[in-house]
Amino acid sequence: MTNQEVKASSSRFWRVLIYTTLIVFAAFYLLPLFVMLITSFKDLEELRQGNMLSLPQNWTIAAWIKAWGSACIGLTCEGINGYFWNSIKMVVPSVLISTLLGAINGYVLTKWRFKGDRWVFALMLFGCFIPFQIVLIPMSQILGNLGLAGTTTGLVLVHVTYGIGFATLFFRNYYAAFPTELVKAAMIDGASFLGIFWRILLPSSGPIIVVTVIWQFTNIWNDFLFGASFAAGESAPMTVALNNLVSSSTGVKEYNVDMAAAMIAALPTLLVYIVAGRYFVRGLMAGSVKG
Amino acid sequence: MASLEIRNVCKSYGSVDVLKSINIAINHGDFLVLVGPSGCGKSTLLSMIAGLDEITSGELVIDGEVVNDKHPSQRDIAMVFQSYALYPNMSVEKNIAFGLEMRGVPKAERDKKVESVSQMLQIGPLLKRKPAQLSGGQRQRVAMGRALVREPKIFLFDEPLSNLDAKLRVDMRTEIKKLHQRLGATIVYVTHDQIEAMTLATRIAIMKAGILQQLGTPQEVYDTPNNVFVASFMGSPSMNLIPATVVAHQNSVAARLTSPQGNELILPLPQPERYQTWIDKPVILGIRPEAITDMSSAEPNNPWVFPADCQVDVTEPTGADVYVLTTLGGKEIVARMRSNCGAVVGQKTPFAFNMAKAVLFDPQTENRI
Ligand SMILES: Nc1ncnc2c1ncn2[C@@H]1O[C@H](COP(=O)(O)OP(=O)(O)OP(=O)(O)O)[C@@H](O)[C@H]1O
Ligand SMILES: [Mg+2]
Repeated sequence: MTNQEVKASSSRFWRVLIYTTLIVFAAFYLLPLFVMLITSFKDLEELRQGNMLSLPQNWTIAAWIKAWGSACIGLTCEGINGYFWNSIKMVVPSVLISTLLGAINGYVLTKWRFKGDRWVFALMLFGCFIPFQIVLIPMSQILGNLGLAGTTTGLVLVHVTYGIGFATLFFRNYYAAFPTELVKAAMIDGASFLGIFWRILLPSSGPIIVVTVIWQFTNIWNDFLFGASFAAGESAPMTVALNNLVSSSTGVKEYNVDMAAAMIAALPTLLVYIVAGRYFVRGLMAGSVKG
Repeated sequence: MASLEIRNVCKSYGSVDVLKSINIAINHGDFLVLVGPSGCGKSTLLSMIAGLDEITSGELVIDGEVVNDKHPSQRDIAMVFQSYALYPNMSVEKNIAFGLEMRGVPKAERDKKVESVSQMLQIGPLLKRKPAQLSGGQRQRVAMGRALVREPKIFLFDEPLSNLDAKLRVDMRTEIKKLHQRLGATIVYVTHDQIEAMTLATRIAIMKAGILQQLGTPQEVYDTPNNVFVASFMGSPSMNLIPATVVAHQNSVAARLTSPQGNELILPLPQPERYQTWIDKPVILGIRPEAITDMSSAEPNNPWVFPADCQVDVTEPTGADVYVLTTLGGKEIVARMRSNCGAVVGQKTPFAFNMAKAVLFDPQTENRI
């Protein structure tokens, strides 16, 4: 063999090794999803036979319909759809508000610098890393004082507060690479503080908006602790309802319904990734390479 | 009437003094060029005129009104940035019209102004494009269009040509000059290119380390530099600065130079009364390369042309001329001669010194005597 052939065959060997490893890991992670999916399409009869990995003999979406409309959660048997909307009502305003505030913070921290701005930013970063458990009691006190205990609005407030830290971090790093001369030019052109933000910065922030929205959406949608702590009963978000559904079913354990409900709970985040995932990576790169 | 006055303006960042008591006044229609080496504070001064940077002390006056506390948008100025600073999300048309829009000019009027400016700068076909789809020269034009459309009292340019290639830079330089002549606008222009400064300016301000070294017309600055720094900064190749001694000579005053062979060269000085007190003291003789020529290109009726034989060290032909290098007073000096002057390396050739163009500097303070 010539030198080149040796090189080629050894690189081939590594390629095969890498891909095999990747495939094994991918299968490992996908297996639970696969089991969830096929279980949700089986009927109870088939589940009892206990072949977890076998495909359904009779495909049925009955479990999905039941999970959505008539499964029992606690004492009511109206399915998870109400809670699904609770989650939507919580997640959409939380994401929008925290992203917008993060963007304005990033704008101020990079383009309207003031004495002590580094400290403000450091404190915000610190806020990102405070464990959730620590704030539970003071937070419930504050929500109680505001009259927002047990409401979706209260939950939005909590998530916005927590989300601002990360959103600010993302936007600050992105705007740090944004040419300050553009802001100066706009100032001379007569644009106001907010005018510059709306007309110049925000339209150029696509990638980082996508990153922040995906990040906030998945975190807030998947949150369980705050949901369970601050929004019990009727206004509970999807994650809490799912837990109640699984733990409160009486009699026969309906795994197919549980799995269908879990799939429904996971769908929105999945959808967000599929729609915007490409921009997510691009946005992360844009921030990190230049920042 | 003075259009722009900078009175005792200082700027410090913390304990660092970036600008030290700058005084400049220019009239309506003047083209003021700020030149100086990198970091001397040109951009800072321009930013302060624009209102983008606060003035630490001193006054900035535009058309008789102190504008220190006025917002950039209310100073009636427009600025062209080195990076052009075109809004990347807007089309060329929107970029140009943005300033008008922010000032509440109605759409129809905006369109008309954009149209006339784009005609003047020949960017009509580009109006619908985004800045990313333009070449460097086209971006430059758009940036100028954005400034022109507002018809401000003063235009500010911060090294607008430094991102262009050499050929385009020369073209755009001419165009800016034409534009200035056509509009009669007041312009403050920053560059560190002394050729750009000479060709464009009606007034040049040369700065060094935050201190204004000289303010004057290009000719003044070129012929009578205030100090050694200005003398060597302006002009290319730069002025010869030769260590010399002032001596009394035939009832008048002359500069005495020594050649490497130990020969003395006596060159009489014009305006002898100026140098009386300097007799027998060391000075620096400044004389530009084009004031040292071969005998036949020297002005025949100029009584201040003095010939001297000097050894030729190097010749550098440029096509039209040849730069002939010799050594005097321990310094390499450059003379500009006709390309067929017949100078041969290693041999002596007559150099004609036009002493009417010579200036003397104090070697201690480096100021002109
Ligand atoms: N924000 C700042 N803080 C501290 N020093 C600064 C600041 N901005 C500028 N300087 C200093 O002020 C001096 C002048 O800067 P300026 O940008 O005006 O230089 P310049 O003449 O435009 O140079 P160049 O030709 O390189 O553009 C420099 O020494 C620079 O380090
Ligand atoms: Mg500069």
